[in-house]
Amino acid sequence: MRLAYDTERGALMSGGALETHASLAAMARLDRLEAEAVYILRELTHYARPALMFSGGKDSAVLLHLALKAFAPAKPPFALLHIDTGHNFPEVLEFRDQRAAEAGLKLVVRGVEESIRRGSVRLASETASRNAAQAVTLLEAQQEFQFDALIGGARRDEEKARAKERVFSHRDAFGAWRPRAQRPELWGLYNRHLAAGENMRIFPLSNWTEADVWAYIAREKLALPALYYTHDRDVVRRDGLLFPITEITPPRADERVERLPVRFRTVGDITCTCPVESFAANAEDVLLETLTASVSERGATRMDDRANAAAMERRKLEGYF
Amino acid sequence: MDGATFFRPTQNWNGEQVRFMTAGSVDDGKSTLIGRLLLDSKVLMRDQAAGLDGDADEIDLAALTDGLEAERAQGITIDVAYRYFATPRTSFIIADSPGHEQYTRNMVTAASVSDVAVIVIDVARVEQGVLRPQTRRHAAVAALMGLNIIVAVNKMDLVGWSQDRFDEVRGAFNDVAGILNIKNIAFVPVSAKRGENVVHRGGPDWYQGPTLVELLEGAPRKQSLATAPLRLPVQVVLRDGDTRLYAGRIESGAVKPGDKVRVGPGAFAATVAHVRVGGAGVAYAEVGASVAVELSEDRDLAQGGVIADTEVRYARRVVADLCWLDENAWVPGRRYRLRQGALETQALIEEIRFVRDVSNLDNVPSSELKLNDIASVQVAARDPILADAFAELPGTGAFVLFDADTNQTAAAGMIREIVQ
Ligand SMILES: Nc1nc2c(ncn2[C@@H]2O[C@H](COP(=O)(O)OP(=O)(O)O)[C@@H](O)[C@H]2O)c(=O)[nH]1
Repeated sequence: MRLAYDTERGALMSGGALETHASLAAMARLDRLEAEAVYILRELTHYARPALMFSGGKDSAVLLHLALKAFAPAKPPFALLHIDTGHNFPEVLEFRDQRAAEAGLKLVVRGVEESIRRGSVRLASETASRNAAQAVTLLEAQQEFQFDALIGGARRDEEKARAKERVFSHRDAFGAWRPRAQRPELWGLYNRHLAAGENMRIFPLSNWTEADVWAYIAREKLALPALYYTHDRDVVRRDGLLFPITEITPPRADERVERLPVRFRTVGDITCTCPVESFAANAEDVLLETLTASVSERGATRMDDRANAAAMERRKLEGYF
Repeated sequence: MDGATFFRPTQNWNGEQVRFMTAGSVDDGKSTLIGRLLLDSKVLMRDQAAGLDGDADEIDLAALTDGLEAERAQGITIDVAYRYFATPRTSFIIADSPGHEQYTRNMVTAASVSDVAVIVIDVARVEQGVLRPQTRRHAAVAALMGLNIIVAVNKMDLVGWSQDRFDEVRGAFNDVAGILNIKNIAFVPVSAKRGENVVHRGGPDWYQGPTLVELLEGAPRKQSLATAPLRLPVQVVLRDGDTRLYAGRIESGAVKPGDKVRVGPGAFAATVAHVRVGGAGVAYAEVGASVAVELSEDRDLAQGGVIADTEVRYARRVVADLCWLDENAWVPGRRYRLRQGALETQALIEEIRFVRDVSNLDNVPSSELKLNDIASVQVAARDPILADAFAELPGTGAFVLFDADTNQTAAAGMIREIVQ
């Protein structure tokens, strides 16, 4: 795929230049991925009440940027939705609010805390990971606002259970994903139809890899929460991972706290998101590290996924993304 | 630091992306081959490879492509799975469809999102120059879907890298390809288990050709559609004050300001005033680009319409190859929703001309259409649809049918002839 921006118009309008360009059939990967994501986001106009899942993390920042491009100069026709575990890094929430305001989109935040107060969620302990509880709060928010389509930033390269996920993933009234009932997807002629009570989860970044995301952040010069880049932080070494020390995640008695240069590869629930040692100060540095990394993103950073190889799959069946 | 030699990843990130599918008869070694591609191209991260260490001969490469719990329990793959790897020049997306006989539907799905098909054949199981029925089926589906083919002749280590055996497979496949009218085929002898000629060179002296990965990097992909007639289905009409912008993805051809076009389905003449990508004006955009186009004239064009070249034709009746994807068989007289580009309209299958028996490649008369059948049918649409042949314009020569009651995706269609 080839584009010529207006600045190249002069060169292009002379027939010679056009001919040499026209023989190039190369599909530069980021252009192809961006065009595909924009195409998918524009498919959303089929729905009455779509929402884009926006946590302030890097994948959702990329999604929002693509959505703004897809509908420019108009505004994307959807709200932003964040299911807050109550265990988020404050700088990520700040970034979330700031980006939502800049984009001029309505931001809906619903907290796991509220579900706990209502009694629809009960946690084993105060510091237990709240990722699993998100599914309940998500369904509650979906019902409250009658969202019929939720756009997520999940990628198929994240793990095995996601490798077979659809771009348009059809869910029953409980938000549950039924592997056998998924519809075949052909040529990008997506099946967007829903029966009453059902909803759709849509993943425009399905075909992106972690490296693609970082390359795109670098190319588009996207702002991200500072946690994604190197900073000094108190950590302990636990089960082969670095574990961040915060108010709600204190060190254990036998652990030695160290201050190390680290960055986060994902910025989810504080209680189960671990940083990696890094000096990467910008997106290009991170891309370089990603290209040479030896541990996949979730394995390195999410304690709760590691607890069970099929944890993610089970969460999907239960209605979490 | 020396600026000239400093590695700038974002600049080097503009290589090509190739999407390919894999197919193979059960046990021919497809899963092993994918595992080998991932392992030798170093995309496998340490934790994903956990449990794979040990004696190189003992590595269960096939386990890498393993997926869902429910499938594991049943010991089968029921779907299309996507894998990602990259070489310094090219990034790849594999659409892995299972070899199980009744899953033609999955192969059709994988083929629809692929540029190339890699068909894996176990050299030791081709006897007296006869391919297995599943392999013939895979070749037939790839041909139907317009894909170029790379044949990986696998398990060459089991036959002592015999050139005769390799040639026997090539001859057998070429016979089938002749019947199917497949033109672009490449053959490569490999051992998925040991790795020769997959990512790294190896094997016999008699083969000096490219490895599988090299073939994929330089694969004869679907011909570039940049010089084909313009097809831009309108997904959404955007507004900029009083200006209307028609947004969609270019399915074939290219567009630039000043182009004379026809906007449909009425096929009214119009002129392109501006083309934008992501809000910014561009001087030119081609197939694959998601654009927003402003016209010089005020035209009646809505979501589902098309901006096309001046020769565009519409039709209400077409002959198409249909692959049936739904558990529910076709019921005569039943109405389906047809989606072509951004348009959805009602459609009726008026006649089944014949069903293709993809194992012996014969056309057999039939009055039914059920899961995994591939048939030639006549379809009538309520609204005019683009009269585009799939072979020339795959983006708009393709359509899908949805069941209006169950919402299931019922069939994948490829337009072959225009009736009226
Ligand atoms: N000797 C040999 N065995 C192979 C080769 N490739 C695959 N196999 C074996 O063939 C069997 C079937 O392979 P698998 O990848 O599961 O086949 P699939 O059903 O096509 O996915 C396994 O036991 C593999 O170890 C090869 O190149 N040489």
